[in-house]
Amino acid sequence: MSDHHPHEEAATMSPYAARIRAIEALLLERGILTEPEVQDRISYMESRSPANGAKLVARAWVDEDFKERLLSDGKAAASELGIDPTHPAEFVVVENTPEVHNLIVCTLCSCYPRAILGRPPDWYKSFNYRSRAVREPRAVMREFGFEPSEDVEVIVHDSTADVRYMVLPMRPEGTENLSEEELAELVTRDSLVGVSVPRYAGS
Amino acid sequence: MTFRPGDRVRVRSAEKPGHVRTPGYLKGKPGWVESVIGEYPNPEELAYGFSGFPERPLYKVGFRQKDLWEDYDGPADDCLYADVYEHWLESGETT
Amino acid sequence: MGGSPGGPVDKNQHEVEDWERLADAITTALDGKGIKTTDEHRRAQESLPPEEYRSLSYYERWVAATEKLLVEKGILTTEEIDERSDEILRRWGGS
Repeated sequence: MSDHHPHEEAATMSPYAARIRAIEALLLERGILTEPEVQDRISYMESRSPANGAKLVARAWVDEDFKERLLSDGKAAASELGIDPTHPAEFVVVENTPEVHNLIVCTLCSCYPRAILGRPPDWYKSFNYRSRAVREPRAVMREFGFEPSEDVEVIVHDSTADVRYMVLPMRPEGTENLSEEELAELVTRDSLVGVSVPRYAGS
Repeated sequence: MTFRPGDRVRVRSAEKPGHVRTPGYLKGKPGWVESVIGEYPNPEELAYGFSGFPERPLYKVGFRQKDLWEDYDGPADDCLYADVYEHWLESGETT
Repeated sequence: MGGSPGGPVDKNQHEVEDWERLADAITTALDGKGIKTTDEHRRAQESLPPEEYRSLSYYERWVAATEKLLVEKGILTTEEIDERSDEILRRWGGS
């Protein structure tokens, strides 16, 4: 894909845009990587998105047995719904309850359940989020418009090693009559990281 | 596997040069083993192209926020979990 | 980084560019082929000079780290990457 969008590239002018094209060309010429291998990786990431997480959450909300499986073996539960969880790291889902609210961060880099949710948002990778989420999680959540009450225990998960975490938020009240698909639409990416929660305004 | 769920532990405060998967803010802090995650190749050796074997036990360790930050501005029950390799932990039962 | 003071979290999202997709793909494809590991990639990022680590964007850091590892492993040389990227820049500039 070395000749794609030259004008766009020129406009961004990150010297690294040219460097990665150069690296790609050299690796392909040497046979270290092949074009299909590179394309496969691009399609892999394109097929991952927060919609996968929303699907898992909505199913867990309507099916208690599935929820148990999701919490005990995240990868197996994802496969059940046709979501390919292939990734070297573990995938663990942590559950919000009336007593506990979970928040995910990676202070050392920006570990994220990419195999399920795709690329992390820019704010998740930002130095401000990585610095502050562990020390003042409640202030960070307030910035996202969410404020857990003082009697809710906030648990911050710093993904420091071989596990990638996703939050299973609580099902909003008043959603008894919504279908699984409608429920999935309430699940935002931010709520899967825990900086906010799904909301339902009512019909 | 040296530790079991519920054991009091402390993160080693040693300074180790090079790539480390234990965040600096946890060094020397007391916590407890929440669960045993499994055994994995040592990332601090993988980082330099070695095999990472033998695999090292990895624990999910819990910390009280108030033990991590003196000025923590939140309820006493708030806590933080991090995944810490065994070689970064020592028993917390010391005097 | 964890626990350092910081300002408000900027929630703006930039549109992912093609070269960023490519940086992601090449980096993970090299992992998939066992040419390097994620841990080496992290170590290579961390070994960037602190001011560079802070000033580069996320995928710029990825490219810098991937390049460093390819050179370190003797797969490519800095000179040939320099030369090839100059050529590409000239082509973009001239189009």
